[in-house]
Amino acid sequence: MRTAPSSSGPRPSTSAALLRPRSGWFFGLSGDRLIKLIFQGNAAVSIIVLGLITFTIFRDAWGFIPMNRRNLDTYRQAGLEFTDLMRLPVTAHSTLVRYLSTLRQEELVRLTQGLGGSGASANQQLAAYDAFAEHFAETILAHEALLATMTELCSSLKERSMVAEDLRQAKQTLLDGMRTAPLARAASLKQAAEAMQIEVIDFKAEVAPLLALRPAIVAANAALVTELQQLSARLPSFSDAAAQARLAKFPGFLTQYLAELASTAEQMAAWDQAKPVGVFESLNAFAFGREWITASFWQDWYGIIPLLTGSLLIAFMALLIAIPLGLAAAMYVNQLAGPIEQRIIKPYIEFISAIPSVVLGFFGIAMLGETLRRVSQMPALQWVPGFPMAERLNATTAACLLALMAIPTIFSLAEDAINNVPRAFKEASLALGATRLQTMIRITVPAALSGIMAAILLGFGRVVGETMVVLLCAGNRIEIPNVGAGLGVIFQPVHTMTGIIAQEMGEVVRASIHYRALFMVGVVLFLVSLLVNWLAQKIVRRYRISIG
Amino acid sequence: MRAPTITTSKLFGRPTWAQRAEQGVLWLLRLCTYFVLVCAAFIFFDIGWKGGAVIFKTSAPFINVPFLTEAPETLNVFMRDGQKVTMGDRAFREYKATHEALMKGAKVETYVYSAGGIFPNIVGTVLLVAGAIFIALVLGVLSAIYLSEYATDGTFIRFLRLSIVNLAGVPSIVYGLFGFGFFVIALDFGVSLIAGWLTMAFMVLPIIITASEEALKAVPKGYREGSLALGATKFQTIMSNVLPYALPGILTSSVLSIARVAGETAPIMFTAAFVMRDELPWQVQKWTDFIFQGVMALPYHIYVVASKIPQNEYTRDVQYGTAFVFLFTVAAIAMTAILLRQHLRKKYQW
Repeated sequence: MRTAPSSSGPRPSTSAALLRPRSGWFFGLSGDRLIKLIFQGNAAVSIIVLGLITFTIFRDAWGFIPMNRRNLDTYRQAGLEFTDLMRLPVTAHSTLVRYLSTLRQEELVRLTQGLGGSGASANQQLAAYDAFAEHFAETILAHEALLATMTELCSSLKERSMVAEDLRQAKQTLLDGMRTAPLARAASLKQAAEAMQIEVIDFKAEVAPLLALRPAIVAANAALVTELQQLSARLPSFSDAAAQARLAKFPGFLTQYLAELASTAEQMAAWDQAKPVGVFESLNAFAFGREWITASFWQDWYGIIPLLTGSLLIAFMALLIAIPLGLAAAMYVNQLAGPIEQRIIKPYIEFISAIPSVVLGFFGIAMLGETLRRVSQMPALQWVPGFPMAERLNATTAACLLALMAIPTIFSLAEDAINNVPRAFKEASLALGATRLQTMIRITVPAALSGIMAAILLGFGRVVGETMVVLLCAGNRIEIPNVGAGLGVIFQPVHTMTGIIAQEMGEVVRASIHYRALFMVGVVLFLVSLLVNWLAQKIVRRYRISIG
Repeated sequence: MRAPTITTSKLFGRPTWAQRAEQGVLWLLRLCTYFVLVCAAFIFFDIGWKGGAVIFKTSAPFINVPFLTEAPETLNVFMRDGQKVTMGDRAFREYKATHEALMKGAKVETYVYSAGGIFPNIVGTVLLVAGAIFIALVLGVLSAIYLSEYATDGTFIRFLRLSIVNLAGVPSIVYGLFGFGFFVIALDFGVSLIAGWLTMAFMVLPIIITASEEALKAVPKGYREGSLALGATKFQTIMSNVLPYALPGILTSSVLSIARVAGETAPIMFTAAFVMRDELPWQVQKWTDFIFQGVMALPYHIYVVASKIPQNEYTRDVQYGTAFVFLFTVAAIAMTAILLRQHLRKKYQW
């Protein structure tokens, strides 16, 4: 913009008169100013869009917290929480029962096949063990019976409260409609609303029979403890050393189980129906929740941990493949390749980034998944943990394809960074007698390191935000990857944050808690992308070498 | 004392350790690079080979015209005289009506979307891409002109650049969520072309702005100064001396963003795409219905046929055929852009 010198003097100079902005015809704006404003307004769209995105997803996500509070509150009020506490020892017990039966199975196989004994004699040898296992299995029966009663009580109560809640909402809709509707219609709406019978549930009274079971539970617990203590003294033995070693672990498990039982009993004794659900509890249930269960008859959980771990697992695996390949390609193309190779490879890799993700996902389903599974079934590869793969579509399938998507991003940015290293650096190193390899490893790459780090970060952003490949190829099982499987964890099917949005968004009821939970996931994704971007910029700016 | 003689055997003899290491690393890097290229080539080959078999025919028109001009249908498979017969839904209904006795008690397997073609999907994708690119180009080029010609450093510009960089990093599914929450629900457009257009336009906006700004900045300063010195206004200068020279670069970037827009699925999943729709987009009552209708789209169709129907010999054709058409269209667009850019880089060197 041209600024006019002040025309305070009696006779403005010629240049001042010429340079003074002419007053315009449109709200005092001259043509040029107006045009500039138009351009500026267009540019502002980017800011507006970013603002709108932030506003929209945060607004829709915001409602999640109070809704989840209500959700958790019903969970507590209707006694579901209490019942779930009771469920803990029962589930843990059944795990132990499974452990015992696996041991028996293995021992049976060993006796009949390894030692060539008949089935009958093997069973005879295992008779003492069977009696022990059976006795152990029976110890929980009292708890199971109690749990069944409690479950029935709670689920009917929860159902009634859900029906009441639905009716209340319907009534509210009618009443809202009444305000805007014309008079005659408003009257009928009001009538309909008033005709609705909404049950008012007194949770305290309803849960009373549940709490009345407390003495019975305490008694059952005491009985369980004494029986288990007696049982652990009568541990049978196996003749095989390995099997015996595994069986010898059982008393340890039992002690652990008893400790858990005691702490659960304490929690149940301290359980307070009236304890309010706080905002933080609601938020924590999302941020640290280990389960994502929707449309369940018992209780819905919206915990992001299984999705987050799935996303991160896949992203790290993809980067593990993409970083070496992408950087190797960047170094090779920039420093070592001939001009013809350079002219072909660079556009080619750029071209890879144009492959639509949904096509890659389809390729994963139709081709890669099956191929990987066949490879995993080869007898020569059985030493690899996790082989043979249980599922055709798993984290590895998705990660391989995502790596291919991340490579162009990492390659282009890293290549740029290497290219921007001043020639003098390289020439000085070569002049001192360093080989090309030494120059590259000691001089060029360290000088470009900030750019390379940014490239890797943006590659990570690309991989975490990718939707279609993970939706199609990751197996979509909502579970925290089982680290107990060792390295085999990478062959487990997982679900991801992007995948869950794409999969469930189309089917949810608008403004329901599930809908808002998906927006919460979107918020997490959005924040991750902003963080990655910010870090990448920060690294580039902080460690940029001055070119002098 | 004798000076050490330099012999050919010393110069070209066995390579030193350092040389061998260098050769080894060189080959390792080369191997990595070519491994990536081969992987990508294999994907093109697999889809090209199996999909090409669906699209191309060995006999006269050489192209599977029905696949490209018909709507998707349900495929019916049943036994007739001990042989398996496959029929599209319409043909099957006619056949059933005429051969009632024959069809009584016959076991019919059905596979959705596995017969017919993908014409509505192609039309929908073209419409979506054209609209989104038009909006994005207008907004993007004007923004880029502002950034490169008018902007002076300040809070607004800093904020603007920050927004653009961050917009570029937002995952496409978040754009989808935004489009769904804002256009489809808050503005009540419903699942419609216009919601898809705006969502995708905003998604490619950062790409177009960055690339166009680069093209504008590449025009030498002298061009502008010459024009301004002759008394032209800033706007005249931009229109006559800057934009024409930057246009090829801008066009290239826009072609590349077409490939990006066409290839995305996540943003249109809940904003613009229908799984199945009987009418074609131009079969509407009034013009406002046109922009407020949802369409079928190729990428979404691939997602549906890849995930919602079983993988077998009957569904294979539609899966690979659709993937083939889609992949090679997008690839052709991207290729054009990349070649065009290489050509321009050589042509315009100031």
